Amino acid sequence: MLKYSLKRILLAFITAFIILTMTFFLVKSLPPTGVISPSENVRMAYYLDQVALGYVTDRSELTPSLGKLLEHIKDSAGVDHYFYQTPIIHQYFRWLGNIVTKWDWGRSTVIEPNTSAIIIIGTRLPVSISVNIISVLISVPLGIALGILAGLKKNTWVDHTISTLVMVFISIPSFVVITLLIYWLAYQTGWLPSTWPTPDQSTKTRVLAYVIPVLSLSFGSICGYTRFVRAELCEVMSSEYLLLARTKGLTKNQAIVRHALRNAFVPILPSVLAEFIGIFGGSMILESIYSIPGIGSLYIKALNQANPDYNVLMVDMAIFTTIGLLAGILLDLSYGFLDPRIRMGEKR
Amino acid sequence: MKNDKDFELKNNLPEVVNDPEICEEDFKLVDADERVHEQKFSTKPTTFLKDSMKRFSKNKSSVVAAGILGFLLLLSFIVPVVSTADVSTSHPELRYLEPKLFNAGTGFWDGTKKWSNIATDTSLMPDASTDEDKEKYWFPSPVDFKANGIIKGSKKFSAPTYTSKASEYGKDGYMQIGYYDTFTGDYISFSTFETDDFNVKVKDTDPSFELDVSDPENKPTWLTVFDVYDEAKLKTLEGNSYSIPENYEQGECALFFNFYKTVDGKQVLASVQLTEYASVHNIGSAIDSLKQEKINIAKIIAESPEVEGRTSFDVVSFSVRIKNLDNKAHTCVLLKSIGFESESTNTSTLRIFRNISMSDATQEMMQAYQTDSSKYNYKYWFCDGGNSSVRKLYMGKVIYCSFTYDSYEAMLGSFSLDTFAISKLEQYYRNKYIDYLAVSTLDPVTHKYKLDENSFRFTILNAKKCPIREALTKDNFKVNEDNGEIRCINVPITGYKYYGYSSMPKFLFGTDKTGRDMLKYVFEGLRFSLVLGILTFLVCFLFGLVYGAISGYFGGTVDLVMERFTDILSGVPWIVVMTLVVIHLGSNFWTFALALCLTGWIGTASTTRTQFYRFRGREYVLASRTLGANDARLIARHILPNAMGTIVTGAVLMIPSVIFSEATISYLGLGLRNLPSLGVILSRNQAELMNNPHLLLFPAMVIALLMISFNLFGNGLRDAINPSLKGEGE
Repeated sequence: MLKYSLKRILLAFITAFIILTMTFFLVKSLPPTGVISPSENVRMAYYLDQVALGYVTDRSELTPSLGKLLEHIKDSAGVDHYFYQTPIIHQYFRWLGNIVTKWDWGRSTVIEPNTSAIIIIGTRLPVSISVNIISVLISVPLGIALGILAGLKKNTWVDHTISTLVMVFISIPSFVVITLLIYWLAYQTGWLPSTWPTPDQSTKTRVLAYVIPVLSLSFGSICGYTRFVRAELCEVMSSEYLLLARTKGLTKNQAIVRHALRNAFVPILPSVLAEFIGIFGGSMILESIYSIPGIGSLYIKALNQANPDYNVLMVDMAIFTTIGLLAGILLDLSYGFLDPRIRMGEKR
Repeated sequence: MKNDKDFELKNNLPEVVNDPEICEEDFKLVDADERVHEQKFSTKPTTFLKDSMKRFSKNKSSVVAAGILGFLLLLSFIVPVVSTADVSTSHPELRYLEPKLFNAGTGFWDGTKKWSNIATDTSLMPDASTDEDKEKYWFPSPVDFKANGIIKGSKKFSAPTYTSKASEYGKDGYMQIGYYDTFTGDYISFSTFETDDFNVKVKDTDPSFELDVSDPENKPTWLTVFDVYDEAKLKTLEGNSYSIPENYEQGECALFFNFYKTVDGKQVLASVQLTEYASVHNIGSAIDSLKQEKINIAKIIAESPEVEGRTSFDVVSFSVRIKNLDNKAHTCVLLKSIGFESESTNTSTLRIFRNISMSDATQEMMQAYQTDSSKYNYKYWFCDGGNSSVRKLYMGKVIYCSFTYDSYEAMLGSFSLDTFAISKLEQYYRNKYIDYLAVSTLDPVTHKYKLDENSFRFTILNAKKCPIREALTKDNFKVNEDNGEIRCINVPITGYKYYGYSSMPKFLFGTDKTGRDMLKYVFEGLRFSLVLGILTFLVCFLFGLVYGAISGYFGGTVDLVMERFTDILSGVPWIVVMTLVVIHLGSNFWTFALALCLTGWIGTASTTRTQFYRFRGREYVLASRTLGANDARLIARHILPNAMGTIVTGAVLMIPSVIFSEATISYLGLGLRNLPSLGVILSRNQAELMNNPHLLLFPAMVIALLMISFNLFGNGLRDAINPSLKGEGE
């Protein structure tokens, strides 16, 4: 198991590395954008930092052979600074070096000029996590409970109602759900705020502001779990060992609790664990519609057509990729851990 | 075994021949002449498709879904062709019409809309000079609701009883009047601060608000309250009555500058008091007194300890705070609503304030202040205009009204046009709708042109078709005294006739802000989404099939390399792949389809690979190989037909998922922009949710219906063609 786990983790590392490298080259091969700030001092500081980090060269005169000129600034002493981008491959190795030695993933150019992208992510991550964690805490138990209910009452009206609702909610795109929720709960009734409140608003408003995001995140999640649990439970319920358990004299409840649920939970638990990894990612749609300052809306903001902030975008992409890979590993490993018969990708 | 029997028979033969009881006749084959194998089966054989069909039709919900899907499909191809509405050009006369199916007055889907509690500005109402008139005609801002609309229904007058939305504030409670702006990501509304008079420099593209204290000419930077408001395009501040209740003589007010700063990693609101608190009798005189007192605002702000040497601010506001020194709570009544004119959007619309909620500041503020005054560095409250942080109200009286608004009547019904092109009249004359004669003559005495009153005539010949409702009189014609040109004014017309419709048009889904027929637009979008979905599905399916087949059939190193490739590709979140492709190759139909295809095939490929792994070692494959079949034949003729059922099963739900992805990414504004897909339509109308929900509800409904029916249909189809379920439930 240990060897298998290590192998999986190593493989994920390599995959992540390759993806990030690809992303780096793809993003850096786009037309470079300089820093956007009204203050010359900020811009100057940014470029000097970039020179120190090795992404930009500083020349005292115009050197057309060096490629794209990012900006020309005359400093207070009257010295000319011509800032040129270094070659991408050079930038790449410096980038790797900076990550390893300084944990510097790049500087923001638009959102908060010359601030480390990691710091920007750090200030926004708690908001995303707080919304996500509440939604996971609500949706997982509720989803599992509904799934069990539907599975046990299979082919009754309870099951049909639950299954139909699940089908409906799983099909409706999340932005439609959010739009409708905002329309009904914020605009029509006026119970809830229609956008994420600023820090100066009252505690009540800020607490109420969680309702729409949590609801809209939970709907899909609850439906997913309900469907999953129901399917698993139905499969287990028709299995032979459950029949054996009943013939041995267990009551129906005993058989369900001791045999059916236990076995049904083997594939469910890993996905719950993976869901908890998922709280570190922000929902782009929800966050941008409800203007939640999380990392999902940061992605959209960094991708602004007029002024894209590629460095922040890249870190955000890295986070989403890492979360995906981590969730995948956790899913497979916990499968193998819970049920030794299943060891994904292991040699037969 | 067979041979053994033959052998037994042979051995026994001599004995049998000798037996007289058994003759040679007995050994004749009974059915020797009949050709049994040519007889037809009494039961019909079932084909794979028939069996699938049978199982599919058993699943009622899938059948219904298929019906709905077919209906939507049909509509998406018929509606854009049949509908004559023009969705590519702008039709301002048709903008924001409500969805209408039934005639007005039925109360449901009839092109009318109930508005309730709309803050109304009575001064903007035409035809309302007396208070009595004002109560009769409640028009909200004429910019938002065309003033000539027929407004029916109940009228609510919250003044002078002040019962509905008045709130109180008590001792040490503050009320804030002011312009407030948030920096929420778009570079908007800061342009409104731009001015050269005061060294408050804000450029459109700058996210920060800079105060330049180092004035080269050492000219003091004067900024008065009134000017701040004026520059901020705070409308309707002038000439209004700001009144605080009469007994409110102890109140004091002062001007504040507010901004956000970071304390311990948290954004907190800080403010700099710009003036001393001055006693006020009412806010109007307070503002006047503040105006007279010239304040060097930049200097005060720069020298304030709160500012700590900062020169730029992200979110700023100027405000007048009115402090209550009384021990009593006072009723605060909103006297008038105000709106901000946003320069960046260039709309002169006054925003409507709906459901103004003035939370009771007294309780909340006082409680907070008493428990820990240091913790709460704000001692005043914002009057929040409902929902957006940008909208603030100052103290005043708000008149709310509720009414039913018929947008069709307003835009296309009977109203009068201020200026009417004379060429139109000539056109009507040629069409024999009207007969008229209006000529100008030169007065020989004054040498000025005037209307020739003697020859003037005007009759409506074809009242059915003529857009002009009543015969025009001489008053409707104005003559330019100098050159004799004739103009037409205040012409009463019937809107729809004027715009060229023979009867009042009906828009089932309403129209958007450029007058697009949403019905046609939505179904065009649906058609586009469907075409994109099916196209992507075909490409992904074929590519995934080939890729998976090669990977699974050959195995070994080929498989290993190909698998690592899919591992990496599937490791990147699809949204990342899509954005990278779109920003690299631009946003058009083909790059978008490519972006969708890039990750879409992985699912099919992995199912195919698994199936090929399963079947490639089977005996029939081996047999065929021994007979000399090459790889292509083995793949295409032997393995693929067996694997197909499972592969299709896995791929059936790809179309809805592609449509879903497309809608999502377009909705986020990362994908298509100028093509009519459902996601683009929704994304475009996102901002209209509050005032024109139909622009979002209809496309949302269509996309939801599409997804539900597609998923149900797909599930049914999957169960029906799933080879492992074949023959089940017979």
